[in-house]
Amino acid sequence: MGYTRVHRSVREYAVFARKLRVEPLRQVGSVVAPDDELAKAYARATYDEERWVEMMIVPRDSVISLWAPGEESD
Amino acid sequence: MRYAEWCTAAPSLEADIAAAAMGLDDIGHSRVLYGSLRELGSPDAGTEGADYNNVAYLDRPWSQWAQFVAANAVLDGAFSLMIEALVNGDVEVLRSRLKKMLQEEHYHYLHGRSWMRETNAEEAVRAAWVEAITWFGPPGGDIDHLHDDGKLGMGVTDLCRRLEERLEAKPPALSTDWKTWDPVRRRTVRGGIDQLTLEMLQGLAEKRYMPAGG
Repeated sequence: MGYTRVHRSVREYAVFARKLRVEPLRQVGSVVAPDDELAKAYARATYDEERWVEMMIVPRDSVISLWAPGEESD
Repeated sequence: MRYAEWCTAAPSLEADIAAAAMGLDDIGHSRVLYGSLRELGSPDAGTEGADYNNVAYLDRPWSQWAQFVAANAVLDGAFSLMIEALVNGDVEVLRSRLKKMLQEEHYHYLHGRSWMRETNAEEAVRAAWVEAITWFGPPGGDIDHLHDDGKLGMGVTDLCRRLEERLEAKPPALSTDWKTWDPVRRRTVRGGIDQLTLEMLQGLAEKRYMPAGG
């Protein structure tokens, strides 16, 4: 669900990246933005300090959770 | 430099970080461009404010976030288009060296366009847009001649059209008096960068804090 901060409505995006093609993607952080474009700009500005070969962002609300720490599976 | 002034004053922490990152990108771009110009035989600029060939929009610090957004979307956009025109021209040193800039400038574009939607920046956008068109120069002028010679991949009409497409808005009615246009500084307004910024750019501001004899 979206929530308000500076913008009328924002989403949280998880940022994934890897340094080598043989490595799996791992979550390196997250950004909060009103749309995908700004989220891309923020992810790149915030997490570009390393030489990633791949970076991607995923809206947190698009992730389907099966279970989380302390929870039973579906 | 103007981006850096907003790295602790933007509306959100993410925007602060983006302002700092874009400022760093642009410092890198300046270094590459000045290095390329030197190789192409262009003399270094002087040290007075009026010696800098910046657009007048950068003469003074911005007091409103909307001005940052307009500079980011419009002026950075116009700059990117000129870099694209150089990359698609036939000057080899520029073709090969400026490509990476376009990748970085793409993120400036995403940042500026998105913030344009989020901010009531019409007035600032209009002011920046007039300066961008003025910076491109008069139709049939030097930019079009460089395009005809193959040194630039786009002429003034293409540059203006592409800027319009990027901004997804109607351009302002242009009232530039080309008779007053300075073809070296590519602007009609006299004056230059404020003294404090000039001293910071030249490292003079830091010298004040050096120990005596340092």
